[in-house]
Amino acid sequence: MATITGVTRRTADVSNQNQLERYAFLFMRLTGSGLLILAVGHMLIQHVLNSSSNLTIQFVAGQWNSWGWKTYDMLLLVFAITHGFNGLRGVLEDYIHNDTAMTWIKRVLFVFCIITIVWAGFAISTFDPSKFN
Amino acid sequence: MFSTLKLTALESIRYRGLWGHWSWLAHRISGLAILSFLVIHVWDTANAHFLPGLYQWSLEFFKYPLVAVGEIALMAAVLYHAINGIRITILDFKPELWQHQRTSAMISWGLFAVVFIPIAILMFSTLVGHCSELAAEGATCWRIPPLSAFQPFSEIHELPH
Repeated sequence: MATITGVTRRTADVSNQNQLERYAFLFMRLTGSGLLILAVGHMLIQHVLNSSSNLTIQFVAGQWNSWGWKTYDMLLLVFAITHGFNGLRGVLEDYIHNDTAMTWIKRVLFVFCIITIVWAGFAISTFDPSKFN
Repeated sequence: MFSTLKLTALESIRYRGLWGHWSWLAHRISGLAILSFLVIHVWDTANAHFLPGLYQWSLEFFKYPLVAVGEIALMAAVLYHAINGIRITILDFKPELWQHQRTSAMISWGLFAVVFIPIAILMFSTLVGHCSELAAEGATCWRIPPLSAFQPFSEIHELPH
């Protein structure tokens, strides 16, 4: 008979409270599908059709003169940051098995995530293109 | 914590899970790489509103050739993460397809190569074109303008060249 070594057994909490992980799983697939269009689109539009080599603040102001671009960038911001930080949480949980440390890391990441979205969201929505003419 | 990190890093290289393993590793590394740049990019872009002068400097910084090569690497990371992400999502919702996981991983890498290679060539030639244009004017792309040229950061500045 074959012997299996190195098997790690961890208890899984399947109570309702842990439905949160199920939603996190679905959230990653959903935002991932959204980012397939938003993030890949952003890369192709800004880095292939346009280019960083001739990018100016006036060009950015021109784009943010339109509500369409502002909405696109706002959606991209929210999807990319939340997807990215939830991904980072997943990676860290794989390697850090100290529950107290992990709880604090999650709190810090959550707060940083919110501050980033609010700060950048404020910048996009209140950006005044008329200053750049 | 660091001992587990070291163990993970070593085992990630040693473990021979082949295609699925490389996909998992590449997904993780590309994800972390994208997030690192994303955070910088988001805070930097917010400066277009808060500190336009500083934002103008960073736009010049991003034109530096080594940074532009990093931009091509970022493109690779985003494209691979996106393509492999589709594969993961499909397999998650259609578990019966798991018997084809090895083939699916190969397809992802193939698709990535087909999409990325022409884009990389295009981005690289844009970079070379930009540098030779500057060289023709007697300028150089190998110089990042000093931060002081963009002070005060709260104002919009005329570009030096």
